[in-house]
Amino acid sequence: MGPGAAALRDELRQLVRDHVPRDYLGAFTDDPADLEIAQRFCRTLAARGLLCLAWPPEYGGRGASPWEQTVVREEMWAHHEPRGAQYMGVNWVGPAIMRHGTADQKERHLPPIARGEVIWCQGFSEPDAGSDLASLRTSATPLPDGSGWSVHGQKIWTSYALMAQWCFLLARTSAQQRKQQGLTVFLIPMDAPGVEVRPIRAMLGPHHLNEVFLDGVHVTRGQVLGQVDQGWKVVQEVLAFERVGIARYARCERLLLGAPRVLGGQWESLPGELHARWARMLTHCRRARLLAYRVIAAQSAGLVTPGDAAAYRIAVTRLDQDSAEVLMEILGLADLADEGDGRWWRREVEDHWRYAQASTVASGSIEMQRILLAREMLK
Amino acid sequence: MNIDLSEEALAYGTSAGQAIESAGGDRLLLAAEEDPRQRESQYGPVLAELGAWELDPRGDGDDLEAAAALCRAAGYRAVAYPLAERLARPRDLDVDGLIVVPDRGPASAPVAGLPLRWAAVTLRGRRSLVTGARESGPPRTAAFAATLDLHGTDLADGAGDAALGLVLPCWTLLGLLDRAIDLTLAHVKVREQFGQPLSAFQGVQFQLTEAEVERTGLDVLAKYALWSIQAGSREATQDALALRMAALEAAEVVFRAAHQLHGAMGFCDETPLSWLSRYSQPIRRAPFGLSATRALLAERIGRPGARAGGDR
Repeated sequence: MGPGAAALRDELRQLVRDHVPRDYLGAFTDDPADLEIAQRFCRTLAARGLLCLAWPPEYGGRGASPWEQTVVREEMWAHHEPRGAQYMGVNWVGPAIMRHGTADQKERHLPPIARGEVIWCQGFSEPDAGSDLASLRTSATPLPDGSGWSVHGQKIWTSYALMAQWCFLLARTSAQQRKQQGLTVFLIPMDAPGVEVRPIRAMLGPHHLNEVFLDGVHVTRGQVLGQVDQGWKVVQEVLAFERVGIARYARCERLLLGAPRVLGGQWESLPGELHARWARMLTHCRRARLLAYRVIAAQSAGLVTPGDAAAYRIAVTRLDQDSAEVLMEILGLADLADEGDGRWWRREVEDHWRYAQASTVASGSIEMQRILLAREMLK
Repeated sequence: MNIDLSEEALAYGTSAGQAIESAGGDRLLLAAEEDPRQRESQYGPVLAELGAWELDPRGDGDDLEAAAALCRAAGYRAVAYPLAERLARPRDLDVDGLIVVPDRGPASAPVAGLPLRWAAVTLRGRRSLVTGARESGPPRTAAFAATLDLHGTDLADGAGDAALGLVLPCWTLLGLLDRAIDLTLAHVKVREQFGQPLSAFQGVQFQLTEAEVERTGLDVLAKYALWSIQAGSREATQDALALRMAALEAAEVVFRAAHQLHGAMGFCDETPLSWLSRYSQPIRRAPFGLSATRALLAERIGRPGARAGGDR
């Protein structure tokens, strides 16, 4: 992964040890202190130039290699994403603005993202437009005085909406023959009049999912990212930035490798088949990691195909769920002390199980990945 | 060969389901989640009204079938109460119910916050009394599971106790799976994407059929294990383990498909699927998960002179 990768990994692990409490399970719990931990950690990363490592130097980054970015993605996900919601701004909102934004938009939005001071949410899915995103109905109607548009509609499953300051919103600006045409991306402040957020309580944990209602939100031409009616192109690019997505395998691997240490003498008395399933999951972690690396390498060379990325996504989301089952079974057989490592591992495994249930649905369902892969295979 | 429950048992299950529904159905679970200590007062009366505590599943074959039907009906309505464990109580002990526990390692059961007296038994028949039940966490994450403190006593050998203690929770789980499939069928018929209902997509249909094959396979094995107990078979415990293994495998396939086809909706607190999925966990984790159940079953089937079941 290049000479700097190992040192970077060590540096990140040390920062996590120094700045993230042992019982941290992500920024989106009922305890507001967890969000504050994430916010503080982002500022710490930003101060060291580690938050937007991959960005070009002119925007406050280090122009890091894709492999260094991979190390960041792995270490952060392995430790319950102590960047909280900010990975979105860093991973794709910022890059999308770099590519399509006006000078004003770049100046306004990129520095706060680079400093770790702002949270973005993604206004894509709607009640009737999930996998079929292009069917979305949120409309932006031109105002008669030419001052912009009035946005009406509803978004759903919007992660971080309650804590976000900005939304990367996709809305319909005109009716066209193809439903992918006539869509526009708007960058809207979440405190704009007419924006209302309602949290959805879910088994993933509180504060993950929200509904966002847009009732006559006024947006101006200056808030359009890219061209009017050409939003689908921007979104396709955004989704391409996220091809590899979160490094789910890194957390699976860390929890699996932790099991023998946490169980100590009890490890040997687990059923042989459970040892075998555990070993199989570790192999699947390696497989997913290597598939991710193949996509990253192909992406760097400009050769990535949607099929490669889909194969990886299918493998890694299933790994997430299968390893959650194995970990829960190990947990069920273990007599762990209610303190120290045993206690944290128990909480992490339980959290991982609930979170993994959604991995084949979130960020592009496994069905869509299967369709992409099959299309590629049958070409 | 009769592979269904008796008509009386089926009718009892239906009326039990209606009674639970009228008493509040799913809403009872949400209330219990808010305050686990209310579980006894919420569920106790409706189950007593149904005559649950007069059933004698260990002494009477008809009552055994009625108990199974009742557990299935309760599972369908996500009844958050250790009904199966109570129905499995041994006849010779003055306790309210029985919990099957592993030979070694921690014992747990979804009995948090209930003022009841429990006996425990291992597969080898070692009995003990439950002297303490510590909640493993808040109901939203622990689903009423509690870690049990056991006190070994000079209680008589309970080798015959374990089979029923394993089988009845599988009937509850079967009810949970029935409901998960019904909810999923209803959802895919109305949810439209790409201009047609999800049910029109072959990929969706295939997931449904995978789930249904597991559920229906569990259904017949559940009845078989019940028959094995009724007949006083010496393989009853082994048959119960075989059932448990199939139940755990089925639960994984059915809940995976149900969640997948519900999409994000299925994780929300407002959809019953998210409760069913979370409250299926204690049954699936204790006393043994999938690998441990497979290992125990293989060990028993593999013993010299043991029969692997089938042509009896």
